[in-house]
Amino acid sequence: MLRADNLTFVHGGAPKPTPGVVSPNTTDNRSGSACQALPGVQGVSLSVERGSVVGLLGPNGSGKTTLLRLLAGMLEPASGTVSLDGRPIAKMDARARARRIAVVPQETHLAFDYTVLEIALMGRYPHLGVFELEGPRDVQIARDALAATGTSALERRLFATLSGGEKQRVVIASALAQQADILLLDEPTASLDVGYQFEIANLLGRLNKARGLTIVVATHDLNFAAGLCQSLVLVSEGRVVNAGPTNDTLTSLNIQALYGVVADVYPHHAAGHLTVVPLRKVNRD
Amino acid sequence: MTRADRGSGFGIRDSGGPLAATALLVALCLPAPAIAMAQPSQPPPRRIVSLVPSVTETLFAMGAGSRVAAVSSYDNFPPDVEALPRVGALFDPDVERILSLRPDLVIVYGSQTDLIARLGRASVPLYVYRHGSLADVTTGIRDLGARIGMADAARTLAATVDTAFADIRARLKGASRPRTMLVIGREPGSLRAINVSGGFGFLHDLLDLAGGANVFGDVKRESMLVSTETVLARKPDVIIELHYSEPPLPEALTRDRATWQQLPGVPAVKAGRVYLLYGGELVVPGPRVVLTAQTFARALHPDLMPWGR
Amino acid sequence: MIDGGALAGATVRRRLLVWVPIFGAVAFLAIIGAPLIGTTPIRLDRVFDRSLPFADNVDAQIFFIARLPRALAGALVGATLAAAGVVFQALLRNPLATPFTLGVSAGSALGAMLAITFRLHLSFWGVSAVTAASFIGSIGAVAIVYALARARHRGFSTNVLLLAGVTLNSFFSALILFVQYLADSSEAMRTMRWLMGDLDVAGFGPIVASLPLCAAALVAFAWLPRALNLLSLDADAAASRGVNVLRVQRVAFFSASMATGAAVSLGGPIGFIGIIVPHLVRLIVGADHRVVLPASALFGAAFLVACDVLARTAMAPVEVPVGIITALIGGPFFLWLLVRQR
Repeated sequence: MLRADNLTFVHGGAPKPTPGVVSPNTTDNRSGSACQALPGVQGVSLSVERGSVVGLLGPNGSGKTTLLRLLAGMLEPASGTVSLDGRPIAKMDARARARRIAVVPQETHLAFDYTVLEIALMGRYPHLGVFELEGPRDVQIARDALAATGTSALERRLFATLSGGEKQRVVIASALAQQADILLLDEPTASLDVGYQFEIANLLGRLNKARGLTIVVATHDLNFAAGLCQSLVLVSEGRVVNAGPTNDTLTSLNIQALYGVVADVYPHHAAGHLTVVPLRKVNRD
Repeated sequence: MTRADRGSGFGIRDSGGPLAATALLVALCLPAPAIAMAQPSQPPPRRIVSLVPSVTETLFAMGAGSRVAAVSSYDNFPPDVEALPRVGALFDPDVERILSLRPDLVIVYGSQTDLIARLGRASVPLYVYRHGSLADVTTGIRDLGARIGMADAARTLAATVDTAFADIRARLKGASRPRTMLVIGREPGSLRAINVSGGFGFLHDLLDLAGGANVFGDVKRESMLVSTETVLARKPDVIIELHYSEPPLPEALTRDRATWQQLPGVPAVKAGRVYLLYGGELVVPGPRVVLTAQTFARALHPDLMPWGR
Repeated sequence: MIDGGALAGATVRRRLLVWVPIFGAVAFLAIIGAPLIGTTPIRLDRVFDRSLPFADNVDAQIFFIARLPRALAGALVGATLAAAGVVFQALLRNPLATPFTLGVSAGSALGAMLAITFRLHLSFWGVSAVTAASFIGSIGAVAIVYALARARHRGFSTNVLLLAGVTLNSFFSALILFVQYLADSSEAMRTMRWLMGDLDVAGFGPIVASLPLCAAALVAFAWLPRALNLLSLDADAAASRGVNVLRVQRVAFFSASMATGAAVSLGGPIGFIGIIVPHLVRLIVGADHRVVLPASALFGAAFLVACDVLARTAMAPVEVPVGIITALIGGPFFLWLLVRQR
């Protein structure tokens, strides 16, 4: 129900002019993005079914993060549309969109000393009026979100004092407090150790099964994707090179094409899902 | 009624206002007065370069004007200096230019240590001017005269100054001393950044000579910033304000003077005794201090002082 | 503080209800108390004695002309600088940002220097030439910085903003030094004086003239805090929660810059308020901007009024410029803040 049709996006703010088509101006909210020679994303189409867990796989700089932000509506594409249940998200009010789609960024750096509960409560922003303060119901929802990610005990702690895994779970709780039905995560396990990787994977799996949360996760951790995602979208140099159920898409051939790495892919009976064992690097042409 | 016109009504033109005022400021930061010693064994200098406007004025007043080869950028009194070459000023003396004029005496400020060192290396004779109190003005005239071999002329000039001072004192003998606030700076059009003369220094001495009692005489500083509250609390009977340039148009002057109406409770404002004085000579501690003293005295005791000389 | 403590549990509503009245009371007491303190003893009964004509009532004049406008100006400038400091710190995502980081006060200072040195005479509405010129200077600086920040992106880059502001600060500081060099001694004295801060407005004119702008800034500051919470996390995090990041950044930048410009034009560039007060307040009330912003404004007002009382009584009858007092208090405090960083 989340669809992307023929998305194109160029970094640096100046859209590539398409003759005859009026393209909306791109607004790059990120500071300091360098103008890249390659387009961020080109002609990408994909669709995400309700209640599914989709992984976006691709090497660094392949456009995964850009694609994720386009799906979230944080970037305006130079051409193409992203639509939610048939409605283009560009036409949605930002807060209405935030009530449907929540994003968990790769890292969260705080400038000030917010507590865990304050962070969780920030997820309630899309639901509150302009001058409205959070009420007991909002606090309860935030607390439930913390409970769902197992971070209730940390409620009064300062966010900056938490460990990496704890921080990530709190940020996920904040996204859950938005009560969105779609969760987009950007490299959620990038800076976490294997223990935390399991925690996050389990958490996301639980959220998907228990609440029917639709999850799209951009990652380059192949085993994490293999364990969590039902279907994969392989992205390289801004284009979709392959998409489909995990078992069909995660093959040695595709991995070699994507990463230039020869790997052995086989179902691991103890893990219960496909496992990837990288063997050696091949020179990419 | 202002005395503004009187201040410059003697054909006295604006003289090195900016630099003289700078000199005053610099001098105010220097410690006790120490005038350079005369060196009578040397032949009298005939090519004098003067960086100090008050000394330039003294030289001309003594009759040594023909011996002045160059002056500072800010000199403009007497009119004769217009034709002379300029060699910079307190902060930017042009050493090359000075040396190229082959002077046999250069008059410098005590704070121009770099210049002094360089001229010393070039073996150029120096006269180091240091600012002091009012008494040092006449002492300085005499010292300078001895240095350039015109001791008699200097003595005569100094005597003129002393006589004029004595004359003022005589006229004002026994008169009451109005409590006066001597304002040496203020933001135009408002009463902010009021800078007054404290109970110390050359301007305070002039005020004292002219028969006024400095309301800030108890504060031993040459200058200080005061708030409007302090002005209200000290209740001066007379306010004298100094400006170091030409007087503005009468309307502007009246408007500026009217700024003091913001403090109607000050006795000086109530009595209308707010005097704005204009003229470059107001900050030059040279022979024209006589004029300044007379202007002050006229403001403070209009009934005891004549209009003209 | 390792633990948010009991405070963290309290909701925003409760914190607002506790702290805003407390800081409000402090500010109120400071404003009405300051005119009563001073080296010249005055009597309240004489101040309000109507039978005496105003022109003869020195006590009333000291109270209503010398002290009360100073207290009000101090409150206005202190509140504005503290609030602007909070907004800039959130906008730039940096607790070390001050209202002067982006060059507004340098523009203001340049305007004031030019007015003083070249003796401009353009006063209007009871506002002196220096005040007017310094405000125009601040507008110029804001325009330049904004244009630079937009030049690279169609959007609004806080990094570029910071660079532009710092560059402008250096450039304008050089210009200011140059103008000071050109000035003669009395002007140089006045420029130095202006740079050190002066709240002795001696009348209500300048305060009234600043009010419209400060009121406008106040409205913006009422709308901003929640968005600032989100913005200070991350622009992306804010956007994904429905914040119109560009609009918030623009409103924050312009309102805080213009408010700073007005405050600096009124009292000169009084430093440290925009950074000490927000930090102190955060230590007490937590990081939520909905509490920090109003509390900082109120505390900033009280703080500056207190500093100004100190400025005019510490070395009486000599005035110590209020900027020196805030620096003497702020400098050591700031060092202590840096040292205690975890």
